[in-house]
Amino acid sequence: MKGSSMQWLPLFVGLVLGLVLGLVYTWYIAPVELVNTYPPLMRSGYRWDWIRMAALSYVADGDLEQVRGRLEGLEREDVAGAMEALINEYAAAGRPTETMRRLSALAQALDVYTPAMLVYLNTPAAPVNTPAFAVSPTPLDVTAPPTPSETTPTPKPTRTPPPPTLTPTPLPPFRLTEREQICQPGQAPHIEVVVRDENGEELSGVEVWLMWPDGADRAVTGLKPDRGAGYADFDADPDVDYSLGTSELGVPLVTGLRIEPCPEEKDKEQLMGSWRIVLERRSAATGTPEPTAP
Amino acid sequence: MHLEPQARRWIVQGLIGVAVGLVLGFLIGWWILPVEYTNTPPSVLRRDYRDEYIVMVATAYEVEGDLDQARERLAALDPDSPAAPVVELAERLVVAGGDSEDLARLARLAWALDAITPPLMPYLEDQP
Repeated sequence: MKGSSMQWLPLFVGLVLGLVLGLVYTWYIAPVELVNTYPPLMRSGYRWDWIRMAALSYVADGDLEQVRGRLEGLEREDVAGAMEALINEYAAAGRPTETMRRLSALAQALDVYTPAMLVYLNTPAAPVNTPAFAVSPTPLDVTAPPTPSETTPTPKPTRTPPPPTLTPTPLPPFRLTEREQICQPGQAPHIEVVVRDENGEELSGVEVWLMWPDGADRAVTGLKPDRGAGYADFDADPDVDYSLGTSELGVPLVTGLRIEPCPEEKDKEQLMGSWRIVLERRSAATGTPEPTAP
Repeated sequence: MHLEPQARRWIVQGLIGVAVGLVLGFLIGWWILPVEYTNTPPSVLRRDYRDEYIVMVATAYEVEGDLDQARERLAALDPDSPAAPVVELAERLVVAGGDSEDLARLARLAWALDAITPPLMPYLEDQP
């Protein structure tokens, strides 16, 4: 029996040796070439950038199917993370409302939610599936050999469409009339908002949104009647960039709000300043656009 | 050299074993369990994905207007000549009759990168 086992030993040893040599060669010396990879295999930074660019292409074209195709195979966590980061960054930067609406609509379509997008979903929006300009749904395919007629050296005169100017946005119904740093001892840093009508009367029931890179908060004026019918306030933290808007159209009316130290006074402890923002409703006759307050 | 029949048989068996083992090793290493790559850069994307990447860079440039970022993204494809992939794809699309909107975006990016070529000029009607 022992002799019979020994009889096949060289074959077995050779087999193992050959297998080891083969694996060393194919895994280490000449592995499968690193070509023809696809987005999910990319490094996370590149994956997130891919997702960001896919989302921006939706802002430009409004083509949801194209975006879905571009995001195919990517992990949901990656898509959610990259979308949230993009929306928060854009909200903090006070990007145009139409851009924010499209990004928010895309996020919703991809089942991604972040507080900063809520204000743009709660407002009447332009149809997101309507491209800002005509785009052919033809997929990008340049691998097919050109037909003889396509090899003409002079390209057909094609009228270049205008840059993606988004649909003109109606004016926000409120405008910033006052922005004042308030320095009162014993008060935690906060942002208070007073909303008035065109005659200076305070307005209750107006939804006000405070947005920052990681989220958003909502308040309704008039819930503290002792402070006035048009009053609402938010707690605020230092070193955070806030922007402020009303529910209508989700336009950030004020951007770059930061809790900052008050001017120093002799023999007094330095205070962190809060902000008082006064918004006034535009009269129906006001027709000229005004730049968003800084 | 004279070998005992037993020794000759062992050598033959060993060589057969090595040959079979090598074939198995190649099969396993290249087809059944090949090396799996992760954390790859965009430069090794399959051609269609690479084309998508370039078109998206041009679209993102149009939306954000950030030329440095576009250049940085393209450098992931060709560090020495970031504009080259844009021009190469755009000219390929011209020949293949690609989407005019994609072409216009690529041409505008090529123009911004100071790499515009004659075949792309017709797509630059809006440029100064």
